[in-house]
Amino acid sequence: MPDAHFYSYDDFDRRLVAERVEQFRDQVRRRLAGELTEDQFKPLRLTNGLYLQLHAYMLRIAIPYGTLSSRQLRKLAEISRKYDRGYGHFTTRQNLQLHWIKLEQAPDAIAALAEVDMHSIQTSGNCVRNTTADHFAGAAADEIEDPRVWCEIVRQWSTLHPEFSFLPRKFKIAITGSPNDRAAVRVHDIGLRLWRNDQGEVGFEVIVGGGLGRTPMIGKTLREFLPKDEMLAYLEAALRVYNRYGRRDNLFKARIKILVHEIGVEKMREEVEAEYESMKDSALKLSPETIEAIAQQFAPPPLRPKRALVPEVEALKLEDRNFALWLKSNVAPHRVAGHAIVTASLKPAGAPPGDASAAQMEGVADIADAYSYSEIRVSHEQNLVLPHVAVEDLPAVYRALDKLGFAEANIGKITDIIACPGLDYCALANARSIPVAQRISNHFAALARQHDIGDLKIKISGCINACGHHHVGHIGILGVDKNGVELYQISLGGDVDFGHTALGTILGPAVPAEKVVEAVDALVTTYLEARADGERFVDTYRRIGAQPFKDRVYATV
Amino acid sequence: MAKNLSGDLQVASANRLADGMVVFLDAAGQWTDRLDRADIARNKPAADVLLERARAESFTVVDPFLVAVIEDEEGRIEPLSLREKIRASGLTFAAIAAEAVRYA
Amino acid sequence: MPLFREGAATPIANDGPAPVPLADWLQDRRGSAVSLANTDDVNCLQPHLAELSLIVLHFPKFSDGRAYSQARILRERMGYSGEMRATGGVLQDQLPFLLRCGFDSFESDQKGFGEALMRARTLFSVVYQPTEDGRPTASQLRLVSRRIMATAAE
Repeated sequence: MPDAHFYSYDDFDRRLVAERVEQFRDQVRRRLAGELTEDQFKPLRLTNGLYLQLHAYMLRIAIPYGTLSSRQLRKLAEISRKYDRGYGHFTTRQNLQLHWIKLEQAPDAIAALAEVDMHSIQTSGNCVRNTTADHFAGAAADEIEDPRVWCEIVRQWSTLHPEFSFLPRKFKIAITGSPNDRAAVRVHDIGLRLWRNDQGEVGFEVIVGGGLGRTPMIGKTLREFLPKDEMLAYLEAALRVYNRYGRRDNLFKARIKILVHEIGVEKMREEVEAEYESMKDSALKLSPETIEAIAQQFAPPPLRPKRALVPEVEALKLEDRNFALWLKSNVAPHRVAGHAIVTASLKPAGAPPGDASAAQMEGVADIADAYSYSEIRVSHEQNLVLPHVAVEDLPAVYRALDKLGFAEANIGKITDIIACPGLDYCALANARSIPVAQRISNHFAALARQHDIGDLKIKISGCINACGHHHVGHIGILGVDKNGVELYQISLGGDVDFGHTALGTILGPAVPAEKVVEAVDALVTTYLEARADGERFVDTYRRIGAQPFKDRVYATV
Repeated sequence: MAKNLSGDLQVASANRLADGMVVFLDAAGQWTDRLDRADIARNKPAADVLLERARAESFTVVDPFLVAVIEDEEGRIEPLSLREKIRASGLTFAAIAAEAVRYA
Repeated sequence: MPLFREGAATPIANDGPAPVPLADWLQDRRGSAVSLANTDDVNCLQPHLAELSLIVLHFPKFSDGRAYSQARILRERMGYSGEMRATGGVLQDQLPFLLRCGFDSFESDQKGFGEALMRARTLFSVVYQPTEDGRPTASQLRLVSRRIMATAAE
């Protein structure tokens, strides 16, 4: 792929992925022939990203560090048409899920992915999963260094790692290169934060034991400053400690966060540092040449500074109220003057959040080709991002996105809801999340009102596994099942932005499905009445506490 | 995971191995995607037998289990739990179509 | 339980020294074959490696991967060069991992295990991680080829 400004596979990478396809093809054949039991086959299909859900198999496709070329996005559209029902769902870990896959066709679908240097390796299973990054990486104005270089290094190291393919449980790593952490590093099994010390050196803060789910925890600092070239040795040491000592007796206590909680971070640090001592000068130490060879592939496109004030843009702002709002909410500053980062909202009013049809995917690919150096990103908030748009092209991009239904001016606003697939799709769910998101979205659709309400992140999970990240929503909504009835537990004050990580506090008793919109409305009204100048919803909540919100919600529902 | 409510009437269900489709065991011991063709067990002993039969036929399906259903006056059956309703009848909202560029 | 070693698809005779459980072996140090639970700390064998010709490691379930770490520590850190055997939940699909971690014999009653063993080392022509098996990683090969090209260009 000549025009990619991110890592391109070489022959080694391609061969590995192709060989993995053939291995899986044989495993599927043996399963269908009855040579493998479901128990024996399940980990094999999971480590190829294939879940069995309510209605069909779901394939989770890895989008490493949320970065895609237009060619790859078109292929995803094609695969969704050929092997699925013509649409896909972008997830909170920057992956794409297809929900109607057939097992007997899965090897072909994965082979099609391999044609564009993509795969579904280790997107499930008790292994190291897709390492996620900040979706503005390489473009954001506040970035110290591009974290994706390190994500790629971790991706290779963790792929088919012979020692760590049967961990106690899944292992998720996230890397941020910005002080405004957009990768949620403090709620991952290991988070890596690039920072610059007083000597001017850039290294990693290593954070361990964060996670959401049944027992949400914020990660603790394992190592303040780790030299970059020692990253893999340190990760190997940490994973080995986890592999050896993580609990295997109880599925719900098997994550590294439980181990850290049980032995304490000091003991964890002791163990990891001891293991690391014997590894640090091994073959895992990254040579400057290796790092440089990968870093070069992430060199940004040749963006020349351009005029930031463009008459056409200014004129359109005055003419088109929606465009003016869109500029405020969906367009973020770029490190190069005269450029911007555009978020395509996959949350049109009333639509299932984060879904895109094959036609929409192709449409975004076309826009990326014309206006964003053929590059697209997937955010953790289930939206797509065009990372390198010239300001002078914003009107054209806006119009093109609008034709696709992806120009709703709601990024970061109340209808930019994050929701897991929930009970409509998922075998683990207790309640539905998509219809709840749709109702909230319809209720608050009016854009002027949304912008008045301001930044408000609603995150919805259909079960305690928290794939909707409800623990870190300003308003978190968790679906529960009580005697066959869907109820929704509301929490307030979660956060994972701007380096501030907080877990939400439950407001009160769960509310029935038909009352959720009213409850959210009551929360918004409470905020609007109490807010001081410049306060976001979550700021007001932090200032006045839960009581006023609680009082109003439970008076209403 | 959502509880599978218990009741007097049970059918046996599973997901087909090859394509993951939801299927039910019919009276002839075949797996059908039609809930209205599912064999119904009307008491506990019959339910035990039904599950046995389902497990015996599990070469082409994954993990058969029993689903509690209710029957109306016309003999139409419907699962008791929301989860199984969804399994039997699909998504509770409209998914976007492949060629659509707007959500309907 | 059939025993396999690399190089043959058919089981070999399992007539070597019977392995002694670790605690017992450390007491008497009788025989040259020891078996470990996957919760045992392999480091206690450090002073005794020269006395051992067979270390048996255990997978209570194939999904319990602790013995992979034990194996690598034994091979790579401690330099153990005798036979290292995998027992318990040992299935053919784990062979590429088992081999890379330094196992060289396997107890398995899974149909087709021997044939799979013959193919397991070459299932993947590329590896990303350095282990004791000495296979050059993609990273190392890239470095070499870049240096060759740089030299050629001079």
